[in-house]
Amino acid sequence: MKKNSSNITRYTWLTAVYAFLYIPIFVVVFYSFNNTQFSLVWHGMTLNWYQDLWRDTNLWVALFHSLLLALCASTIAVVIGSFAAMNLYWYRFRGRHLLYGLVFILIVTPDIVLGISLLILFSLMHLDLGFWSLLLAHITFCIPFVVITVYSRLVDFDSHLFEAARDLGASEITIFRRIMLPLALPAIIVGLLLSFTLSLDDVVISYFVAGPGYEILPLKIFSMARLGVRPELNALCTVIFVITVLLVLLSHMTLRKKT
Amino acid sequence: MKYDSHFRYFSLTLIWAWLGIFALLAFLLVLGVSFLDHTQAHIVIPRLTFTNYQFLFQPMLLKIFGKSFSIAATVTFFCLIIGYPFAYFLSQLDRHYKSLLMLFLIIPFWTSSLVRSYAIMAILKTKGLLNLLLLTLGIIHQPMQLLFTNVAVIIGLVYNLLPFMVLPLYANFERLDRRLLEAAEDLGAGRFIKVYKILLPLTKPGIYAGVMMVFLPSMTLFYIPDLLGGARSLLLGNLIENQFLFANNWPVGSAVSVILTAVMGGMLFIYWRATQRHERQQVLL
Amino acid sequence: MIRLILCLFLVCWSGLSLAEDNVVNVYGWSSDMSNEIIQAFEKETGIKVNHSGYSSNEELYAKLRAIGPGSYDVIEPSSYYVSRMIAQNMLEPIDVTKLKNYKNIDPEFLHPSYDPKGVHAIPYFWGVTGIFVNRKYYPDLKITRWTDLWQPQYKNQLFMLDDPRELFSIALITLGYSPNDSNREHIKQAYERLRLLSANIKLYNSSAVVSIVGDEDATLGIMWNGNFYSAAAYNKNLEFIFPEDGFVIWVDNFAIPKGAEHKENAYKFIDFLLKAETAKAMSLNNSEAITNTAGRKLLPPELRDSKVIYPSDEILKRGIYQEDINDAALADYANYWEKLKLQ
Repeated sequence: MKKNSSNITRYTWLTAVYAFLYIPIFVVVFYSFNNTQFSLVWHGMTLNWYQDLWRDTNLWVALFHSLLLALCASTIAVVIGSFAAMNLYWYRFRGRHLLYGLVFILIVTPDIVLGISLLILFSLMHLDLGFWSLLLAHITFCIPFVVITVYSRLVDFDSHLFEAARDLGASEITIFRRIMLPLALPAIIVGLLLSFTLSLDDVVISYFVAGPGYEILPLKIFSMARLGVRPELNALCTVIFVITVLLVLLSHMTLRKKT
Repeated sequence: MKYDSHFRYFSLTLIWAWLGIFALLAFLLVLGVSFLDHTQAHIVIPRLTFTNYQFLFQPMLLKIFGKSFSIAATVTFFCLIIGYPFAYFLSQLDRHYKSLLMLFLIIPFWTSSLVRSYAIMAILKTKGLLNLLLLTLGIIHQPMQLLFTNVAVIIGLVYNLLPFMVLPLYANFERLDRRLLEAAEDLGAGRFIKVYKILLPLTKPGIYAGVMMVFLPSMTLFYIPDLLGGARSLLLGNLIENQFLFANNWPVGSAVSVILTAVMGGMLFIYWRATQRHERQQVLL
Repeated sequence: MIRLILCLFLVCWSGLSLAEDNVVNVYGWSSDMSNEIIQAFEKETGIKVNHSGYSSNEELYAKLRAIGPGSYDVIEPSSYYVSRMIAQNMLEPIDVTKLKNYKNIDPEFLHPSYDPKGVHAIPYFWGVTGIFVNRKYYPDLKITRWTDLWQPQYKNQLFMLDDPRELFSIALITLGYSPNDSNREHIKQAYERLRLLSANIKLYNSSAVVSIVGDEDATLGIMWNGNFYSAAAYNKNLEFIFPEDGFVIWVDNFAIPKGAEHKENAYKFIDFLLKAETAKAMSLNNSEAITNTAGRKLLPPELRDSKVIYPSDEILKRGIYQEDINDAALADYANYWEKLKLQ
């Protein structure tokens, strides 16, 4: 009886939050068929926006650039961020508090300030603006999110666990690889997902550090939306959404079969 | 043991090099600029001045700060209230569905935030989908003004920041020993005791991480609040953007950013001092 | 894991090594320049176009100042930023003899007050800021001048552009000053005027104007005529008013920034944009008025003869080009703007 009521609460809560998250997405999908340029009220059905989208090759190039950038940036950010979190947790080195401070500064600095200061740094370093400058910037603003997530999971564990392993003769690499890494894995995955999401959608910082030859999707979208978002962009988001959902479901099913 | 020192050396160098250049150096740049002067012809000229801070030392800044702070706090509160039970329930599901549902939590955010914000506008408009639904159902007889209100701002921000609360919490719940809760239940603990005495303390680091990742960035967000709220008030992000881009006054813009960093850092430090010594490690970040 | 990272890097390298030399780096509004236009140019000349976009003049200016010369070959600043950039020596003088299609531009727009010495910018799009009314909500409202917006009956109803220059221009005009006035005392008076207006303002927005006005989330306020045209295309209750006390004309220009690396290609690109067919296509993308007389002739009649997009000369006489103001005045604007929003 009691079990039942708590189950109901659980599923209602889960459903409600997913509904909250997905209603705007369904509106995006729905409006991609809207027969109007700028209005956000329904004006009848059309498939024209998908035709336009299909022809707009620059948009697809920008999407590819964004995906590549987000993949690289989130992977590297996760490696560096996890290292940082594990080191902060495990070693008592000098300057530890400064390192904390730097992570804090990165997350609290407003995007526009970080964007401009990174731009100035890059031009002092004579780094050409383009893929690499974007990559460096994206890794930088993703790192704090990884550090915070991974660290918050590590402190949950009993540090005696690691000390015991060391007493038993495990080298530090072994402790990192065999104990800390598996324990922190869920947090590392979460860090990866958050970094990927941040990188894929960043506008302000990217705006400053992007160069002429490497246009990424969020910048393109902001610049296209001078008069408002056209349904062509809804169509693009719909395509992205449908493809990701299919990919996730597909990989889930193949993984399930394996196990 | 030789590998050990190599490994340690390598990882620490990597982290220090990265944060040293892209966080410390960048911050020092901002700090330096905030004490310099500017002219029309030059963004920054090497003349030391404190006028940038004097300029900000007026009640206006306090008001803007208060507004941004209250919005950020409200958003963090709602994210926590919605996200905490959500992450808990999610972590209790069957292993296969758990990972799938976690991915489905983040997938909406892989589309453009601008396009999503327009979709929220389409829902909340006077002639929008929500009003249409409520009018058709006869619940209301006059369309409500939802868009361009504070409610719309909070909805938009909570929507965009929710995963940053839920996911770190989920990573914490994931390792939670369910036997602890069962033991408590066997001992006759009520639901309130269960949550308050066991769940909350155990997931404190997760809450802390989530709050940091929602609260700090939302202090300076302004695009979504402007679009959904009608831009009738001014937030910290607007102030900084206004100074950097409209007034071409990089020194004052930098000074605002420095003050923000100092105030938030100060608050964090006070919080840290207030926590008990053995808990400090948990909340340091 | 490591293998995965290596693979990623290989992919990046291969993507980047394709860089070409025969390019032109264009930095402008993506909403103006559709893919077809860029592809047509690439096909005709064999020059690869790297088009990247921004979403405000301020962003363009801040970025150009931070990176210094060399990155971009063609930019698209508005009139008031043209005068600012000329003053900062950021624009390359343009040799108009290299532009075969320069003759297509309406002479009215050549040698404007914001580009007095020589030619630094090619005027392309133009428009005005005026008043819009939704007749469904205000059937017999008589509104002819900016001052009418101050009437107390419009409490909490007005739509405003989220742009300090636009708002201060209105206030300065109602006080009888030029919208390009840098006099600090006049700006202060304008601020006092705007304080009185703020009770009437319902919302500010610059990026979703068409949908807000067209969908009747706002029914009275100020608007650019190009946006108005797009909104009126699906909402027939809208009416545009060119205020009798004067209004601001803005012009978007194409220009070559100092130190551009592919100057010859930049000329070719600008010349291509000045072709009548290209101008027509650009205008159809965003429904703004073009300075290109030959291109205008090719437009469909409803756009070509629209009295909102191309007002009569008599009305245009009341217009004033938007020009730069000095930094001290800008600082005042910014300061007052912040105070205004904090009320």
